[in-house]
Amino acid sequence: MSRRRPLLLIAPAAALIFFFVMLPYINVLVMSLRMPGSEGKPFDPGFGFEAYAQFFTQDYYLSALPHTLWLGIITTAVCLLLGYPLALHIATASRRWRGILYGIVLSPLLVGIVIRSYGWTILLGNTGVINKTLKDLGIIVRPLKLMYNDFGVVLALAHVFLPFMVLPLLSSLQGIDPAIGQAARSLGASRLTVFRRVTFPVSMPGVQSGCILVFVLAISSYVTPALIGGMRVKTTTILVVDALIDQFLWPFGSAMAFVLALSAGLIVIAFAMLTRMKWK
Amino acid sequence: MRLAEALLALFRVLVYIFLLAPIAVVVLASFNAGNFLTFPPQGLSLRWFVTFLQNDVFIDAIVYSAVLAALATAVSLVIGTMAALYYVRHAGKEAETVRVLLLLPLILPEILTAIALLFFFYQIGVGLEHRIALFTGHVLMTLPFVFLNVTTSLQGRDEACELAARSLGASRMTAFRRVTLPLIAPGLATGGVFAFIISFDTFGISFILKGTGSAPLPIQLYDYLRFNFTPEAAAVSTVSIIFTLAAVVVADRLFGRKG
Repeated sequence: MSRRRPLLLIAPAAALIFFFVMLPYINVLVMSLRMPGSEGKPFDPGFGFEAYAQFFTQDYYLSALPHTLWLGIITTAVCLLLGYPLALHIATASRRWRGILYGIVLSPLLVGIVIRSYGWTILLGNTGVINKTLKDLGIIVRPLKLMYNDFGVVLALAHVFLPFMVLPLLSSLQGIDPAIGQAARSLGASRLTVFRRVTFPVSMPGVQSGCILVFVLAISSYVTPALIGGMRVKTTTILVVDALIDQFLWPFGSAMAFVLALSAGLIVIAFAMLTRMKWK
Repeated sequence: MRLAEALLALFRVLVYIFLLAPIAVVVLASFNAGNFLTFPPQGLSLRWFVTFLQNDVFIDAIVYSAVLAALATAVSLVIGTMAALYYVRHAGKEAETVRVLLLLPLILPEILTAIALLFFFYQIGVGLEHRIALFTGHVLMTLPFVFLNVTTSLQGRDEACELAARSLGASRMTAFRRVTLPLIAPGLATGGVFAFIISFDTFGISFILKGTGSAPLPIQLYDYLRFNFTPEAAAVSTVSIIFTLAAVVVADRLFGRKG
């Protein structure tokens, strides 16, 4: 058996990833180091940190960065809070229920992003289901502002990324031997103590990967904040797309994208160190 | 303690409702008899489904999306399965690198990948002509799902069966076709369904790379919803959801039990 043959198996995938992911990304990195264009051109000849300087000196763009990261952190926290009880529930459910609950948890992923956002619009709008119901019941007089703000965006983001929190949690929880909990209980530990001292520590790897996944997905999402935020919620990702596609500010938009990626990377590393993540 | 447990159970039910609510609301709204999207519906009717079926724009978009998804899935299935075979059987020390590379399109932000591809295709002089960029983007988005699913089903089997077939005189191709392929069929089916759904629903890649002319369904729906608020969009969405569910159910019936 020739040694070259196995390499033929990976060649198409490797070529695809190299030419259409790695090269284009390197190209964007190079673009961020080009000179911002003048007279309607996307960029000028020469290289420098001009585009980065532009980003850090314009408050309109700079202020969106902490806000984006903050939205990401809140979304992650909400997902953990909502997802943990679900994961515990599914891990201990009977076989038949497990399939159904699993399906419900995965359901946001089976419906396209436009349709999902459309559903939220019907629910959260000023004349939407929730506001109309509350009004009919006489609880409110004026409609609550549920979308076109941070609240709506976080809600919609948490909805779609919840599966990415529940699945890693579930796989780490399913590894726990129920006997450990029973032993602790028989030795006099309360349910809460069992959770705090046994269940939660064992599920830590799931918490870590779930949080990192949700955070990264949340700060880089574009369609949900654009549709639910109605352009009133300004995130760095939205500004990047706006700069690159609508304004032809190629070096500037590229630089902004890399600052976002770098800040996100730093937060993920800090989180991993704080929770003493063990890298595989 | 009883109270705490009851509260926790209530909380869980609320979260499950939260997960299903936006989808349920769209499906319910599509049967609305009124002219506008109101809730609860003003009587039940299938009129918006009829309107939608007479609207060439949406029919074209659904066909376009389905063809694009089918082609992208076919290419991903071939490339992804080959990569999975390499990863499980031959990668050795580079296994982790191979895995990360194959999952890159999933890990990197879709909208940024789309923009990177847009620049790239313009700089090599192809631009958005002939939908090559769009198609490449869809293959990239679907590839990780095929790779993940086929890898999982390959890891459960060892190479012994295929080697036995080879030692009995089967050619490499025959051994793969008659032995390995049937064994990994469930993984291929699940991966294929995932790939199809992802391609059918993906927005960022299509939004940036669609070029001129007809557009995939999510883009058409997005354009429509910017100016209209009739239940027709809900009818289109319901059909799209049924499409997706049908794909999942068919794959599950065909292969789910065996896997």
